[in-house]
Amino acid sequence: MKKKVLSVLLASTMVAGILAGCGSSSSTEAPAADASTEAAAADTEAAEEASTEAAAEEDTEAADSAELAYTGEINLMHYSTSEESEGNGGSDGFRTMIANWEEAHPDITLNQNVLANDEYKTQIATMAAAGDLPDVFLLQGMNTKSWAAQGLILDMTDIIKDSPYYADYNQDYFTPFKDGDKLYGLPVLTGGTCTVVIYDKAAWKDAGFDSFPDNWDDVKKADEYFKANGYDGTIAFGNGGQWQANSDFLSTLGDRYTGKEWFQHIIDGDGEASFTDDSFVSALQFMQDIFQSGIFNSDFNSVTNEDAREYFIAGDYPAFIGGNWDESYIAATLQADDEEAYNNLGFAVLPQPADATEDANSQNIGLGYAMAINSKVADDPDKLAACIDFCEYVTGPEFASYVAENYALGGLTKVADVDLSGFDEVTQAFYNYSYVDTTPCEIYDSYVDPAVWSVCNTGLQELMNGTGTAKDLAADIQAAYEENYLKK
Amino acid sequence: MLKAIKPKMSTVVALLFIPVVWYVFSVFVPLVTALFYSFFEWKGGPNKTFSGLANYSRLINDATFWQSVWHNLLIVLVCIIGQVGIAFILVLMVQSRLAKCKGIHRTFGFFPSTISAVYIGLIWTMIFDYKRGILNWFLEVTGHADAMKVWLNEPSLVLGCVSVPLVWQYIGYYMVILFAAIAAVDKEIFEVAELDGANAFQRAVYIVLPLIKNMIMVCLTLCISGNMKVFDHIYTMTAGGPGTSSMVMALYGYKVSFEQSNMGYGSAISVGIFIISLVVIQGSRALVNFLTKDKGVE
Repeated sequence: MKKKVLSVLLASTMVAGILAGCGSSSSTEAPAADASTEAAAADTEAAEEASTEAAAEEDTEAADSAELAYTGEINLMHYSTSEESEGNGGSDGFRTMIANWEEAHPDITLNQNVLANDEYKTQIATMAAAGDLPDVFLLQGMNTKSWAAQGLILDMTDIIKDSPYYADYNQDYFTPFKDGDKLYGLPVLTGGTCTVVIYDKAAWKDAGFDSFPDNWDDVKKADEYFKANGYDGTIAFGNGGQWQANSDFLSTLGDRYTGKEWFQHIIDGDGEASFTDDSFVSALQFMQDIFQSGIFNSDFNSVTNEDAREYFIAGDYPAFIGGNWDESYIAATLQADDEEAYNNLGFAVLPQPADATEDANSQNIGLGYAMAINSKVADDPDKLAACIDFCEYVTGPEFASYVAENYALGGLTKVADVDLSGFDEVTQAFYNYSYVDTTPCEIYDSYVDPAVWSVCNTGLQELMNGTGTAKDLAADIQAAYEENYLKK
Repeated sequence: MLKAIKPKMSTVVALLFIPVVWYVFSVFVPLVTALFYSFFEWKGGPNKTFSGLANYSRLINDATFWQSVWHNLLIVLVCIIGQVGIAFILVLMVQSRLAKCKGIHRTFGFFPSTISAVYIGLIWTMIFDYKRGILNWFLEVTGHADAMKVWLNEPSLVLGCVSVPLVWQYIGYYMVILFAAIAAVDKEIFEVAELDGANAFQRAVYIVLPLIKNMIMVCLTLCISGNMKVFDHIYTMTAGGPGTSSMVMALYGYKVSFEQSNMGYGSAISVGIFIISLVVIQGSRALVNFLTKDKGVE
């Protein structure tokens, strides 16, 4: 009898296992949907809290144009989860604005679907493929042209020109969301750098450098010193997700070799520039050489930026290369755990390769996402007015002031005279690095087409490992570019 | 009396219809729609252009796809030996008279199969980690520091590394199936064989194996079909990298469909996976049947 019970139990577990096994391939969406419901639930809670606070404190009056005729639901999808908003000014500001807007418009129900960034990108692409985008969502620059061509997103050119804040918009930030003369979104969140060298000033001083070197030969010299003095290496970097080498390195490095016009030709698709041009191939070649030189952690291709920045925080490496999201994490962690290390944080641009001829002071910065509206919303003018009001509010002056005052960050709308005196030196230094002391250049994967960058990122990982050649990779990228971008 | 509870024929048909509809909807509809979409140039969204067999001719010339097929076949091979083979040996060991606490062995053997593949992937990523991983730590303390590697970044080793968790997870699963098969065999046969002086190896190869041949076939089919669609472990551990060194078919289809937003070609890849899996499964069945045609007891 006992055996029978046991065998029945085991058999049923097995069947369940088989079912689960079969299910996993066909229903990849299910867990994501679960997560989103959870996230949405958590989100509502958090939003409630935040909105009560906000209401108690201040003005919901700026969520002004109070008389919106629309009453009903608006579906919003974004990726500012409550976890992400901790320490991240853009996310925190965005969530606060959403809560304010909800408070000011009690007749409108905002249905939020909040996912972590990676899942967000997959889910929104799937929804776009199905022609079933939410009413309001975050559009990534590189999807603009193809989604506009499919008629999925609303042409917002006139809406943006009629915006009450139009005069204060930083016009440069619109570029990724343009198709010809048409604008498809209001750039959202904060303008942050994607490539910054974060280093430990004290450690580099000991190595004989008052600031981070502006050329790679000095970095290599310093590498000898650091390895002899108990460090694992010189620069920590993580490319486990395959996108980091592109966003946090190549995009700026490429600018050093090709200059800004070259990439503008690539975006315009006018045939004046090609990925097989010598200047871009040289950038790829340098990428291979520098990652093979041993100054980086040897596991750079298998750990993510989250792991690599921990190497820096732990003091195993005296420098780290990443984006503004890494900077906010590193700064917040060190400030809490190690005041001295926090005060020693320094920021520098990527050193200039010896054979690069363009701007040595550039770093890629911009707003990667914009608030976009589903073209179907236009059928209901009242609803459209509500969506426009929402998009303008979350990207408007109130958001900009919030992130400037609390985090020393900037958004789409310019705020006059940001008073930095209340911030400590490190925050000021990063502000100056991001917006004042450096030349901006474009973030590659805010443009063109995801298929191009998928080919590029996969090949880049091999190239950095020392397999494959820069020429072959350039040819592969160019082929993907011609097929997926120029053909359209 | 009996008539009172006998449902009408139409009710029976209607009730039986539910699972049929469910099955058709969840299995046939996606297959047919994938086949349909594979004839289109479709980058997502409402616009599709009919492109005939263009996606299939691209598939045939796509080096990355064939590399993925090869990787899948290697993984299948490793897993047949690792999952089914080791499970068979372990079952014989646990079945032997010398083994104690058989129940515990069965329960704990099966345990890894119940854990989500994503967790398994993450756990093994930590084991293989260069700086903090237990594998490199072990090599270091045993004085083999020169053998330490960035395991998941070695193109020649990475496929083996991602197969290890697959094998580890599913041994218990096949153990349960084989346990059931051996339990169904009359014990006297083993006793007689033992009395006749057959050693453990001979008993395993000449007695047990032929007697549970059908179950082994089931295991092989499950193992092959499971590993032809392997995705989650590898997605978590390497995402197919470095480069495409650990790319498998399902992952490639996913990347093309969702990362590159190329739904038409992604559908063609799915159809390709379906056909190749069918061929491999049928081929392996024919091969096993041919090899074992007139051997052992029936």
